[in-house]
Amino acid sequence: MLTAGKLIARIGIALVILLAVMCLSLLVGKDIDNKLELISISKVVQGIQSEWHYLFSGYHNTADEPPNVDFQIFLYFRLPRVCLAVVIGAALACSGVVFQAILRNPLADPYILGISSGAGLGTMLAVCFGWTFRVAWLGLSPIMACSFAGAMLTVWLVWGIGRITGRQHVTGLLLAGVVVNAFFSAMIMFLSSILDARDLQSTIFRLMGNFQELECPLPVVASALMVLAGTVILTMMGNRLNILSYGSDDARSLGVSVERTSLIAFALAALMTSLAVSLSGLIGFVGLIVPHAVRLVAGPDHRQLIPLSAIVGAAFLVAADAVARVIVPNELLPVGVITALAGGPFFLILLIRYTKSIHWGRA
Amino acid sequence: MIDIQNLSFAYAEQAVLSNLSVSVAENEFWAVVGPNGAGKSTFLSLLSGQLTPQAGSLQIEGHSIQDFSTRQLAAKLALVRQEFVPAFGFSVQETVLMARFGQKNAFFAQNADIQAVQAALKATDTQDFADRPLGHLSGGERQRVFIARALAQETPVLLLDEPTSHLDLKHQVRIFDLLKQMQCEQGKTILLVTHDINLTCQYCDRVLLLGSEGKSYQGSPREVLDVRHIEETFGVKGYQGHIQQEKFFLPLGQFSKDRPQE
Repeated sequence: MLTAGKLIARIGIALVILLAVMCLSLLVGKDIDNKLELISISKVVQGIQSEWHYLFSGYHNTADEPPNVDFQIFLYFRLPRVCLAVVIGAALACSGVVFQAILRNPLADPYILGISSGAGLGTMLAVCFGWTFRVAWLGLSPIMACSFAGAMLTVWLVWGIGRITGRQHVTGLLLAGVVVNAFFSAMIMFLSSILDARDLQSTIFRLMGNFQELECPLPVVASALMVLAGTVILTMMGNRLNILSYGSDDARSLGVSVERTSLIAFALAALMTSLAVSLSGLIGFVGLIVPHAVRLVAGPDHRQLIPLSAIVGAAFLVAADAVARVIVPNELLPVGVITALAGGPFFLILLIRYTKSIHWGRA
Repeated sequence: MIDIQNLSFAYAEQAVLSNLSVSVAENEFWAVVGPNGAGKSTFLSLLSGQLTPQAGSLQIEGHSIQDFSTRQLAAKLALVRQEFVPAFGFSVQETVLMARFGQKNAFFAQNADIQAVQAALKATDTQDFADRPLGHLSGGERQRVFIARALAQETPVLLLDEPTSHLDLKHQVRIFDLLKQMQCEQGKTILLVTHDINLTCQYCDRVLLLGSEGKSYQGSPREVLDVRHIEETFGVKGYQGHIQQEKFFLPLGQFSKDRPQE
């Protein structure tokens, strides 16, 4: 039985793991000769002290010293990237849990209802119209806005079609997702066939799941706040999501307003997924594997599954990004490749280890 | 306790229930029997608020069912369906505990919740496997857990939709014994949809026999589950006898060894 003490202890352990992974990822990288290199902690500390001093006095006391390259890498390259990975990982893992709960389907992931193809289509359209510039003060480009709009419009469309099929609309929702996904994928293929080859390559690279350098911290900070708020609200709904796992008839007879609960949870999960997709493209497997991994270790109770998945998802993506940065010489791999490559076997190990103690039930 | 007047319901053009009036008194054990498609499960769905009646009134303790919110209704009626394995591996205890969370906003279980769960587990004799996942239990054990969940909901009325349909003889009798015990010891009012005419005769106080085209009979099992009514409603001939107090019915078909004489 879940108690406050147990929940706090587990979240605490997960946070410690996340912090450790973040620290490691912030320090590790490649040097000019493609050798693995750790940036110097003392240099970073020195840089922080210097910036701190600058903040209060208005001048650098280290003006005569050579530039602190390690600190600049830390501050301008690694830190924004790691923060973005934390936000995206948490958003994807958390919404994966919610989609699995609402659809009562262990195979559901954040992209199951066509959010990915909607975002992809939005990106493609933006590129086709030549909206590839950046609004510097906001740190955003119209591509991101179009991708976000595409994702949200798709969700709204799928939910609307699903509603037509009636109150028990889980199957209707899934089918609507499949149909919309197929239709939008066809449109993406059509647009790729008429797109210029150079634009096409950059667009595909973007869709594959990538952490681009954001010049302005505003989008990351805003997304972080939204993901944090979403995770807290969904955690508070944990008991109702637990009850929803038994089907809508049972949930209603136990006193849960099925339509309202599903709608709120669905809207929050869709918003978080759309944010993630518009900021970093399609990063697969995090939203499927992390919820299952956490479920296997900590149990299916959504009151702890949601916060723990968010934290573990963040740690997993930070680690995957660190690997993506260093694994291939002279290349920066899309992080989506690493999550898919590492996620599969990792999940299999967990499945074999814990399969005896758990029953997956009927989808 | 439950008062139903001139209830009608139809799916598209297909009328399922028409002008049905039933009055269920407190602490009665009712069985709803009838052929497939006669509207037994529809009747239960209407009662539990999952469907809205197209005509007629449906009252619980003098208040129309439409006036109750989902939460208020969950405080009056608990529903048990055919046993099934939920999508994720919740344990027996977690499953029963969920009965306590639907009606209120508490995040963690309070002492009263834990006590209600322990009492429900004890009453249904499921406390020995409280920590096991639901999927690891047999169908009969799982059904007892769902009944425990309904008990932990602490409602005056229990609605059950074919709770014994997948169970072997031993577990069927065990479930009926358990329900009778709930009726006698805890004063529950029970409405049960079932296909088992003989167990209905042995355990239930009242029977609602739903036939085709909106025809129905109600009364004590002895009056309602008469061979003529069964033949008319189900289109099955058979042999009816008495054990000591109650009737039993053995269905006989065209090729059965003791086939009915014309």
